[in-house]
Amino acid sequence: MALNALEQEALTALDLSRPRPLRLTDHLGLLRASSVVLFLILWEVFGRRVNPLFLSYPTAIANACAQLLASGEFQRQALGSLQVYAVGLGAALVLGIFLGLLMGRYRLAEYLLDPYVYALDATPRVALIPLLLLWFGLGAQAKIAVVFLSGIFPVLMNTFSGVRTVSSGLVDIGKAYGAGERQVFTKIILPAALPFIMAGVRLAVGRALIGIITAEMFTAVTGMGALLIRYSSAFATDKFFVPVIFLALLGVLLSVAVEALQKRLAPWKETERAL
Amino acid sequence: MAASLNNDDIIEELKLRREPAWSLSDHPNLIRAASVTVFLALWEIYGRRTDPLLLTYPTAVLRAALQLIWSGELLRQLLVSLASLAAGFGASLVLGVGLGLMMGRSRLAEAALEPHVNGLYATPQVALTPLLMMWFGLGFSVKVVIIFLFAFFPILINTASGVKNVSASMVEVGRAYMASERQVLLKVVFPAALPFIMAGVRLAVGRGLVGMIVAELFTAITGLGAMLTLYGNLFETAKMFVVIIVLGLLGVGLIQATQWLERRMARWKETERATQ
Repeated sequence: MALNALEQEALTALDLSRPRPLRLTDHLGLLRASSVVLFLILWEVFGRRVNPLFLSYPTAIANACAQLLASGEFQRQALGSLQVYAVGLGAALVLGIFLGLLMGRYRLAEYLLDPYVYALDATPRVALIPLLLLWFGLGAQAKIAVVFLSGIFPVLMNTFSGVRTVSSGLVDIGKAYGAGERQVFTKIILPAALPFIMAGVRLAVGRALIGIITAEMFTAVTGMGALLIRYSSAFATDKFFVPVIFLALLGVLLSVAVEALQKRLAPWKETERAL
Repeated sequence: MAASLNNDDIIEELKLRREPAWSLSDHPNLIRAASVTVFLALWEIYGRRTDPLLLTYPTAVLRAALQLIWSGELLRQLLVSLASLAAGFGASLVLGVGLGLMMGRSRLAEAALEPHVNGLYATPQVALTPLLMMWFGLGFSVKVVIIFLFAFFPILINTASGVKNVSASMVEVGRAYMASERQVLLKVVFPAALPFIMAGVRLAVGRGLVGMIVAELFTAITGLGAMLTLYGNLFETAKMFVVIIVLGLLGVGLIQATQWLERRMARWKETERATQ
């Protein structure tokens, strides 16, 4: 819409371009940043006054972080934790998807297994940790078992319900065109259930992380959880915050990674199920 | 169709009306019962042969359960656990819904609080328990705080996103009819966000239970989690199983109760959000 000269003149006379009053809601990013900065400053000021046994402060934590990283102790423990985590989670994903496919496709398998699956899924897995330690000792085996048990049920349940929602029309058409059972699985059921499976994987990644931290805190021998216990019993609060921050970053990183994977692998559907 | 008169005869003639073959898959509960029975029988036989320090067997678990119930210990510890769960969960419900409403309603509050909420939510809360034990000791208060931390975030985040999802036109209609901010909040925003809040509550119940067990495992003084630690150290596997089963039943019961409440309170919408 072109304006003629007269309208243009009227517009300049009206002066619509006067500065708007400063409103806080226009600078939300600034507000966020200042909220964080204010918090850190208050923590620093307040933290320095309190007994360092109970509350540390940001600069002390940064010092402790540099110190731990330089000594290599932190990396070694983190690597140990991550190895156990990867093995346990890998096993949980493989077995969870396999059993989920089996239970979703064959009713006999479903009825045979679902009493145990539901019972174990309902039991808070942390409650099993003392028992698992009794059975597997204090080493890597027990931790792998804990990670495995924490991770398997979200994957299994989501795979199961994903397979169940695959429309039987799709399977029938596949069969009509002479697809074997294996082809039905790999070409129809698996792709159709993939968005559900990925949603399960996302839940499992978080749960398994909690599982391994709890197990390591309980055994208190090696790994991140052991560091948490060691530093807190030594009242080294500044060092204590280093693994905490690392675990928070790890949690964020893992969930971002799984989300990216989910978008790549299963971009056709964004459903998920809250378990 | 005139021929329909004869259809029954034809079907009879062709023996199309035969009984469907008896199929195992039509009797799910039979299969389930058989599966559980075989499992329990195998466990009983195998369990009796193994070292009782490591593996127990079903009848021993039953005996231990009766013993624990009879002596009143199970009930006493259960009540202790439930008291801390109720206190911690109640606090997270009140604060979570309150702050969630605030964060959903005011962009200022959201911007000021969001970085901290996201940071704390991303941290696995278990990792904070040693610090909390240092601050609050080993008693009742530390359990309440840990349960609070576990249950707080799902409620807060779901409430905030529920409030943000309330359609602006509903709020505007309310405003047009001269509703005050309080009335908008109580009569428009809160009911509209209720299904989200209840979905958050359901997640929070499970997490609160986990928090309770973790807190009791580590403080190891009172409650069901402490019983687990104690019997684990004493190698009393049968009693451990009793506690684990009780915790499982507690989990199922609490989730069922929330689902029932969810259906009653927020039946107009069945949306939910996975935030876990």
